[in-house]
Amino acid sequence: MTSPFRIRRVASIARKEVFHILRDPFTLAMALLLPAILVAIFGLAIEFNMRDVSVAVYDADRSPESRGLLRAFSSSGYFRLKGFAAASETLRELDGDRAKAALIIPPRFGHELGAGREGLTQVLVDGADNSTVGVILGYLRGVQAVAASELLGKPPQPAAIQFRTRFLFNPELNSRWFVVPGLIAVVVAILSILLTAMTVAREWETGSMELLLSTPVHPIEIILGKLAPYIVLDLAAVVFVYLIARAGFEIPFRGSHFVFLIGTLLFISTYLAQGLLISVVTRKQQLAMQFAIVSGLLPTLLLSGFIFPITSMPVFFQYFTSILPAKWFMMISRDVFLKGAGFSELAVPFLALIFLNLFLVSVATRRFKKDVEP
Amino acid sequence: MRDVGIRVTELRKKLGTNLALQGVHADFRAGSLNGLIGPEGAGKTTLLRTILGLLKADQGEINFSKGGEPCSFDEVRPTIAYMPQQQSLYPDLSIAEHLEFFKELYAISDSDFKKRREELLQITRLTQFTDRSAGKLSGGMYKKLGLMCALLQSPSVLLLDEPTNGVDPISRREFWELLYQLRDRKILVILTTAYMDEAERCETVHLLDEGRVIASGEPRKVLAQAGAGSFDEIFVRNAREAHGR
Repeated sequence: MTSPFRIRRVASIARKEVFHILRDPFTLAMALLLPAILVAIFGLAIEFNMRDVSVAVYDADRSPESRGLLRAFSSSGYFRLKGFAAASETLRELDGDRAKAALIIPPRFGHELGAGREGLTQVLVDGADNSTVGVILGYLRGVQAVAASELLGKPPQPAAIQFRTRFLFNPELNSRWFVVPGLIAVVVAILSILLTAMTVAREWETGSMELLLSTPVHPIEIILGKLAPYIVLDLAAVVFVYLIARAGFEIPFRGSHFVFLIGTLLFISTYLAQGLLISVVTRKQQLAMQFAIVSGLLPTLLLSGFIFPITSMPVFFQYFTSILPAKWFMMISRDVFLKGAGFSELAVPFLALIFLNLFLVSVATRRFKKDVEP
Repeated sequence: MRDVGIRVTELRKKLGTNLALQGVHADFRAGSLNGLIGPEGAGKTTLLRTILGLLKADQGEINFSKGGEPCSFDEVRPTIAYMPQQQSLYPDLSIAEHLEFFKELYAISDSDFKKRREELLQITRLTQFTDRSAGKLSGGMYKKLGLMCALLQSPSVLLLDEPTNGVDPISRREFWELLYQLRDRKILVILTTAYMDEAERCETVHLLDEGRVIASGEPRKVLAQAGAGSFDEIFVRNAREAHGR
């Protein structure tokens, strides 16, 4: 084509795209509401830390020692205790799902303890709810240690070696600190892959792409013009989540904003290229949406380490997830936020992301057709 | 650029398993109004797309000339305007917004654009509807908007794919009046149509059937040569012969 590249053509296509976004309630809602909804769901509603685990208690001993044990439970802040008159009643609470655990203190608990023997208590935990068991067990161990030192006045004798665990970067293991920085990847996945794939596919589906290609416009002008508004939307959404993270959830940001910005831009452009590639291959909105969800959104939610840690996946998936840009960005985002990591610590994720970026951008732009050949 | 002519020789194009063009010959003389006539699936759209470079021919040649002298496709390409058959405008953009958009795509200067815009709105009689979105236009108005977008750049070649399909008779007549005005400007127009009455309004018709040109020339001469009363008759006869073969 003889016509030179013109930035005004890019601007004009971008402006047209802004009209489309503003006039289409679905796109507008996706762009504006979704980040807010996701923050609400993952930041507020889903709580991986447990507070107030309800425990049904039957204290058959009623001794100072048993009361001390119960005090240790309730003062931990993790458990909400409710007393019952019989062991069977606590079981009924478990059956009825009104309690997550039952604590049964046998009649001679205090006596045994006073005699220097083991103070046995029975703890029943609702194993049906897999996600909470591990957390409850963890808390129980903590309470056990506290109770032992309180009741016996000193650390238990046999324990010559004790672990004093201190969690770095996120001392309280607050799940929000972990989830919200990762949320940026999910929001970008929706805006970049889903919306981009659909908007370019729409041009093919309605035939307007044929009209565009019949004008002197360059394919690269179409691509840049179509994508520009989504880059702005992406950045706005990232800033939104960032502000919520800092101001709303008081998550520390220990790294450099520059490192974070570079990582974010790399990630956004990688996902935009993926969205573009999907639209070029499918050319149909419906199909593009399905492709975008399966290849973009779901892996970002499930396989990137956002919720489920990659290290606990089967070996195959540990390697497989390396082709997901979200895995690398997840590392960058969390480590910049919580550890204050810089380029040198994050060399591997950055190199991997750069590689995936170059690969997807080159494939997407090469596959972008200048004709209407099937 | 004026006086562009196009000659198509032995053009072949396969789309999937379908032989869309099977050796098409056609001569589109500079400044003439040409009709590509034929039933559905005859290869009309494929021929237009191939001329425009939206499809690549498997075999054959497309030669362009300017003032009788041969010239390259790249030279002519920016001055070819095209109106696809499918409704391809943006339903949420208004007439004014469409014109602004295509102004930038064609890189038309502000002063030229102002003049062209007024002129086109006047001849299409759409001046009072500039704020209406394309999705809310009637069939005839929609086609006129498509034509305006194509004409905005003062093209030397105008390719129209079924420009009056699905348009009421009055709007069709208006559309043709527009086309006649263009002919006076020495624009080469190639349009496809399934309406036989429209075929008779063209200077030259090219009858296309199953990827081949079965007749071409002045409408009346083509009819006389075939000894047929209408183009439909020629197609029906051709189909019968093909069947008998």
